[in-house]
Amino acid sequence: MLNNYVPILIFMAVALIMGVAMVVIGRVLGPHRPDTEKNSPYECGFEAFEDSRMKFDVRYYLVAILFIIFDLEIAFLFPWAVALSEVGMLGFVAMMLFLGILVVGFIYEWKKGALEWE
Amino acid sequence: MDFKQLAFYFFAAVLVFAASMVITVRNPVRAALFLVLAFFSAAAVWMQLHAEFLSITLVLVYVGAVMVLFLFVVMMLDINLVRLREGFGEYLPIGGLVAVLLVLEMAIVLGSGPFGIEQMPEPAPLPADYSNTRALGRVLYTQYLYPFEIAALILLVAIVAAIALTMRRRKDSKYQNPGKQIQVQRGDRVRLVKMRAEKKS
Amino acid sequence: MTETLLGFWLALPSWLQILLANLVKIVIIVLPVVLAVAYLTYAERKIIGYMQVRVGPNRVGPRGWLQPIMDAVKLMFKEIIVPTNANRFLFIGAPILAFAPAMVAWAVIPFSDTLWLTNIDAGLLFILALTSMGVYGVIIAGWASNSKYAFLGSLRSAAQIVAYEIAMGFALVGVLMAAGSLNLREIALAQAGGAHHWYILPLFPLFLVYFISGVAETNRAPFDVAEGESEIVAGFHVEYSGMAFALFFLGEYANMILIGALAAVMFLGGWTTPFTPAVVASLPWLGDGIHWFLIKVSFLMFCFLWFRATFPRYRYDQIMRLGWKVFIPVTLVWIVVIGVAKFLTPWGYLFH
Repeated sequence: MLNNYVPILIFMAVALIMGVAMVVIGRVLGPHRPDTEKNSPYECGFEAFEDSRMKFDVRYYLVAILFIIFDLEIAFLFPWAVALSEVGMLGFVAMMLFLGILVVGFIYEWKKGALEWE
Repeated sequence: MDFKQLAFYFFAAVLVFAASMVITVRNPVRAALFLVLAFFSAAAVWMQLHAEFLSITLVLVYVGAVMVLFLFVVMMLDINLVRLREGFGEYLPIGGLVAVLLVLEMAIVLGSGPFGIEQMPEPAPLPADYSNTRALGRVLYTQYLYPFEIAALILLVAIVAAIALTMRRRKDSKYQNPGKQIQVQRGDRVRLVKMRAEKKS
Repeated sequence: MTETLLGFWLALPSWLQILLANLVKIVIIVLPVVLAVAYLTYAERKIIGYMQVRVGPNRVGPRGWLQPIMDAVKLMFKEIIVPTNANRFLFIGAPILAFAPAMVAWAVIPFSDTLWLTNIDAGLLFILALTSMGVYGVIIAGWASNSKYAFLGSLRSAAQIVAYEIAMGFALVGVLMAAGSLNLREIALAQAGGAHHWYILPLFPLFLVYFISGVAETNRAPFDVAEGESEIVAGFHVEYSGMAFALFFLGEYANMILIGALAAVMFLGGWTTPFTPAVVASLPWLGDGIHWFLIKVSFLMFCFLWFRATFPRYRYDQIMRLGWKVFIPVTLVWIVVIGVAKFLTPWGYLFH
């Protein structure tokens, strides 16, 4: 099994080297003449007036948490779907119960308006 | 030393390096990114234990989801770095003591009893069509059914808790309801008033 | 000549042989992918041009054939501008992080029955894990450039990618239930024997969810609010120029083609022929082969461009609603439908 992952390891190294090489090529071939106007961050013609790493809406945070929870669900569903023919009726009912419990959570989210983007 | 061992030592070294960078680097975003690297190397080490499914799931869930949340949080909070590092020297002795104790405990546990090469011989090589994921699925949904359903309940609690903690209705947001807009009749909006022409006096 | 070469090859240590053989295979995969990306940009401009009754690029080379090459050369000679106050290291690292996963995912794609770099058992899971890493390039780019537009664009883009990844994952579960394997080659082989065996028929809702989520995941029109020119200029890569920008571009288009390749393997039978074995027996040139795979992927890529020319841009709240409130329920219902059909009714054979 591990032998199958050796090409992937090599591929990862190649992809990283390719990425670095392309930036280096750009650096070597391209000009390098910085000036303050050119290097100032884009701001629609205004002078940049404050640090741009501002606080943002807590809503993004909620989306990220819900994403983790659903990602875990998917992680549980994958082995079940693969072994579907072997786990039999018991496994099927178990997963339906699992999904049922999580659908309750999903309905709660929906009714609470957590999925609404105002 | 063959390639397997070399790969193990490489990923283990990267893991230890990344983990120590997480707690020493100054910028919190960089710390979070080193944690990503740590998870990734850990996944590589798991892969060498033939835990194919768990290893890729570690990348999928921790690198792909949990660390995205971490980055959001780290980027969202205005962490005052100077204040964060204030008590560093003060807590160093206690922290160091705990770390030494942990290392000692691990050394005692790993050096005795059921651990070691003799007790854990290399498992028999697996057949070519062996599917780690299928093997996991076969036991998880039959033998370990009860913990599996408890996992569902924990996830449900997590959903409810996340919403309770972070749901804030914004008061200043305005939005339209297209259904209502369409249902409006002329009579709701326009009132025709008949009145006589006014004379100029 | 060949004998000396062969002798030289056999004299090499075995690890070097493995390394070299794999490097050659990787080059054989990467070069066509990069070329395909280059000519996808050409096709995009040309096709959208014709759809809007223009001719598109036609100056560089005959009928504009050399346009993408010239674009690449031009980008090479452009300055890589690093804005003041940007986090230098991360600013340069972000495009590499966006590019590398988009390439590595190609390692497990089966181009035909025998053409693949590696055939791991958990291929689909591997691709899902790798595509979920693509979001780092976006977030880091937005944060490191220290520009408001880039930051807002990266947040929007990240939330959108994340929301559609769930729908995508659920859609894949349906495919797994039908095929009973995570291995992409086995999934394609399970659909062999003609177009009526393809999973697009029993799993049509999942195909739609998967493909539309793919469009949203790659930030393509009509879901390209993250780079909506009229609102936040170009999104997370406003501050990028030259080769750093080219890396983002390559990554994004390679991801698009990857989505098409996966859709072709999982729903359209990959390299298998759409004709039944009876037809193939009399006309052998219609049999399986990599050309079927390429035709299917090209068609799906054409759809990507077609969408861009046809649909107006979605609003951000509409995008989030579609992802969470339409796609996730649809996929959940269809998973239950497949399960019930398999276990409780005699129609399980419809889903294999």
